[in-house]
Amino acid sequence: MNNEHAQQHDSTKHGSDSLHVAAGAHAAGHGAEQADGKFTFNKLLDQLGDHHELNIFFGHYEILPIVLMDDSNSFHTYPNVHAMEESGQWTMHHPGHGHHIVRTHAAHTEKEPCPIPHASASLDLSITNFVAYQWIAMILVTAVFLIARSRYRKAPLAAPRGIQNVLESIVLYVRDQIVQPNVGTEKRASRLMPFMMSLFFFILTLNLISLLPGAHAATGALPVTMALAMCTLIVVNYIAFKDAGVKAWFSHLLGGAPVYIAPIMVPIELVGIITKPFALMIRLFANMTAGHIVLMSLVGLIFFFAQEMGQIVGWGVAPISVLFSVFIYLLELLVAFLQAYIFTMLSAVFVGLALGDHAHHDDHHAEAH
Amino acid sequence: MDPVAFAWLSAGLGLGITVFGVGTGIGRLAAAALEASSRQPENAGDIRTTMIIGAALIEGVALLAGVVCILLAVKNP
Repeated sequence: MNNEHAQQHDSTKHGSDSLHVAAGAHAAGHGAEQADGKFTFNKLLDQLGDHHELNIFFGHYEILPIVLMDDSNSFHTYPNVHAMEESGQWTMHHPGHGHHIVRTHAAHTEKEPCPIPHASASLDLSITNFVAYQWIAMILVTAVFLIARSRYRKAPLAAPRGIQNVLESIVLYVRDQIVQPNVGTEKRASRLMPFMMSLFFFILTLNLISLLPGAHAATGALPVTMALAMCTLIVVNYIAFKDAGVKAWFSHLLGGAPVYIAPIMVPIELVGIITKPFALMIRLFANMTAGHIVLMSLVGLIFFFAQEMGQIVGWGVAPISVLFSVFIYLLELLVAFLQAYIFTMLSAVFVGLALGDHAHHDDHHAEAH
Repeated sequence: MDPVAFAWLSAGLGLGITVFGVGTGIGRLAAAALEASSRQPENAGDIRTTMIIGAALIEGVALLAGVVCILLAVKNP
């Protein structure tokens, strides 16, 4: 696996001499580490992590722009990693594990000497691999829904066909089976549908993109899942505020206990509000990462055995390894759908929980309490 | 043993214990759901939904433990 990694770097990085040297040094570093195999797992996680180039279908395309902010709050933009390295101001740094962009020695003047270790950019707003995937997913979902929409516009009463069928059945399933039973009324379900559908299709598309050869799981990155979970947090509390009322939201903090237990109950309930989206975040992240780690480990076993016990053993292990990874891949296909379903379902459940007794009234404010 | 070896050992053992607990939990959950839906087949849909929510919550805790194990496994010397 280390070999593969090094070769990829060697073959894909091209251009200036300094880059070649960097890639060579990187490969040599791999060689030293292979001996004890200590960092194999770290390398594997690096592969699954974010990158500054677009990886898909076995290719590394250096087409993603780099946006960096330095210590003096000025922005530096470059069309790609290559141009950034050429500029001589920044360089890609590969420590024991991970990689990040740091200042080069040349960028520093006498009055501002190069710090040890290298100073990294104070803010890295680059369009990375995962951002690109999310944009691709957004465009895909929007395009598919626009096609379906135009067909409904053209012939509202005609029987749906093709992509319309798929979308209609999923949309109806999400509304009638996931959202509506949990949030109470049909009116509220319709109001929540845009959010829930966006969640469902966005996560599903990202999960499915991650199963393409050479692609990474954007949903297997904590920042992405955290943003999604924060959206759920906001929506859940907004709906609770709006539909159950501010008073109900605050009395919910007591959890129905007598007032003198408030010092204990309020912190617990506040933690509970944060914990639910936190669990959503960890669940999606860990599910997607775990599947990809298992897949990569299984394929990596071939190289491990070939390296440790010779080529023939490697070839012998290959069929077993490939069989298992196909099995895990199919499991991942199930997980891709399941996680999108679970995320949407739990978001709906949390909305229902936050509403409490108010779930079955449409506009409560005036009447119930 | 050096600290890294202990970290790896704990990661492996920890994941094993986690899987044991989660396997037991989801197994009991599925058994109860099956029993309930065979007793009242007309409620099978509701029971399945509730079961999936429960399974997801159990799994969430397991994955939290899994993340901790990963953090242990990538511990730098």
